[in-house]
Amino acid sequence: MLGTGTPTCAGCGALENIKIFCDILGEKTVFVNAAGCMTLLTVYPFTPFRGSWLYTAMASAPAGAQGVRDALDLLIRDGRLAPEEYLAVVVLTGDGTAYGMGLSATSAAIYRKLDFIYICYDNEGYGNTGYQFSAATPYAARTATSKGPRGYRGYKKDLFAIWAAHRPAYVATVIGTEPADLARKIEKAKGLRGPRLFIALSPCPTGWQFEPAKTVEIGKLAVKTGIWPLKEYLDGKVVHTRIPPPRGRRPPVEEYLKRQGRFTHLFSPTRNEEILKDIQASVDAYWEGVI
Amino acid sequence: MFRIRLHGRGGQGIKTASRILGTAFFWEGYEVQDAPRYGAERRGAPIFAYVRASKEVINERGIINRPDLGIVADESLLLLPVADVLGGVTEHSVLLIVTDEAPGVWKKRLNLKGRVFSLSSKVIVEEHAGFPLVGAACVGAAARLVGVISRKALEKAIREQLRPLGESIIGRNLAKARTAYDQMEASAGCVTEREEPSADSYETPHWIDLPFEEAGLSAPYIHAAATSLKVETGAWRSLRPVIDRRRCHRCGLCDIYCPDGVISLDARGYPHIDYQHCKGCLICLIQCPTHAIKAIPEPGLRAKRHQGRGR
Ligand SMILES: Cc1ncc(C[n+]2csc(CCOP(=O)(O)OP(=O)(O)O)c2C)c(N)n1
Ligand code: SF4
Ligand SMILES: [Mg+2]
Repeated sequence: MLGTGTPTCAGCGALENIKIFCDILGEKTVFVNAAGCMTLLTVYPFTPFRGSWLYTAMASAPAGAQGVRDALDLLIRDGRLAPEEYLAVVVLTGDGTAYGMGLSATSAAIYRKLDFIYICYDNEGYGNTGYQFSAATPYAARTATSKGPRGYRGYKKDLFAIWAAHRPAYVATVIGTEPADLARKIEKAKGLRGPRLFIALSPCPTGWQFEPAKTVEIGKLAVKTGIWPLKEYLDGKVVHTRIPPPRGRRPPVEEYLKRQGRFTHLFSPTRNEEILKDIQASVDAYWEGVI
Repeated sequence: MFRIRLHGRGGQGIKTASRILGTAFFWEGYEVQDAPRYGAERRGAPIFAYVRASKEVINERGIINRPDLGIVADESLLLLPVADVLGGVTEHSVLLIVTDEAPGVWKKRLNLKGRVFSLSSKVIVEEHAGFPLVGAACVGAAARLVGVISRKALEKAIREQLRPLGESIIGRNLAKARTAYDQMEASAGCVTEREEPSADSYETPHWIDLPFEEAGLSAPYIHAAATSLKVETGAWRSLRPVIDRRRCHRCGLCDIYCPDGVISLDARGYPHIDYQHCKGCLICLIQCPTHAIKAIPEPGLRAKRHQGRGR
């Protein structure tokens, strides 16, 4: 469905997600895209999309989606567009937008029960501008703006919980390297109306600093080690769709970390036991809270 | 003024290499400009960077059209018209190519009048997380070819620019740069500053008058679907994944995991790769459970095709 010949990096984990979304959502879509790496998918006169696409400023993609939705609904109401020509409105933004400057517009759109799908491809930083940290950057990661020996001093914001607290129709965390789980969740959301939101972890060879060939391996480790929980929110309940083996039997989180250049300072020249323990402890605590 | 243009692919450290070279010039008392130039393209796409260095104030701006030294970190770019590596290269220009073929082969193949030097492409294979070593090797060789950069200034520049990557990566890059620096000893100073063009030689641009179009025509609307198919991202690739049918069990995982969607399955379930668009990430190679996919270097392939045509 999504055309080839896009300018994303070789091995881009965000594209891996979007490819699957497009396959399932089909061409009857209007993408409303805030500034970020994926804006470059459509650079005049080239686009990989088969449906429509619109560009907005970083903070205002959900507001743009509201305008498009309203216009389409009015056209259908006035008989100028056949009901079969219904187009789904899909917001596509990075984490910089979703976790940061676009959060307020998203909150308002969910509050108004806007009928839209939101895809946040989460590469855990400002990829398009050279990988500075964002509110989605994990603790201790090195970015262009957290280069010290301990990396990023903040913690990744829990956007899933924030979005779910608004009680939208659907929220899910996904990853393109678990295509069956992702496809099932998109199908489910497609059958619903109202705000349906996705956070798609997107291993980024360029920002996370690993060989492009390893995107899938690293994505799978994010799920196996438990650092990226796959879950969904529906009808007031949160369900985990993939539960890793219990502590001790699941691979330690450092298996995931040590394959990425953005965490090398935790392993060399000397191991930073304290930070590694902290990260493992937070993953363990999360899953203890679930089971 | 020295005018140096560095060509490579996104991800090869060309931008940092130009920054190191500029810094080394700076420590030798030069005025310096260094800048990368790339568009929307990413890792793997052809990019270039350039360095100007002069003992006088530099008033020139913009890209370098006539380089005194051209550095080519990826030989496959030489056969790629869009990369325009040879743009403005004259008999005065020296070319430094990362290649395993002899400089003479390239000189003949490309009909070059100036001097050509080569650096072994082993540095590419030894690449390693952090700053790719090919950049360091190129900078080391370039520093010696211009003849005005001491070993000390070179090392200081590398340390300064790679500091956040840690001692072990700096050490490996220093070693690569030193080896390349020594390798060019016999040709030290062969890159020279071109005589500055006089104001009389200035050519006015060839202006073209464009008619005023109606907004409906001139606004950037795209009316067709999937026009990106026209962009041949296959040119980004330095390694080509090749599927061995005999080992393929037709599981289709390569198709599922390819982020760019360049793999399709035929009626019998065998995968085919669209080489016009495959960027060469090699996710398919790692994910194939029966190891039916291997990678072969692109330049070799192209060179072979080249020879075939000659015969
Ligand atoms: C209001 C505003 N501030 C800054 C920018 C510059 N900018 C363009 S893309 C980008 C990074 C966005 O990060 P993210 O949303 O995570 O997307 P990614 O680049 O990682 O795909 C920034 C800061 C902008 N376009 N608009
Ligand atoms: S920087 Fe990362 S997210 Fe952006 S295009 Fe490259 S791989 Fe994809
Ligand atoms: Mg991002």
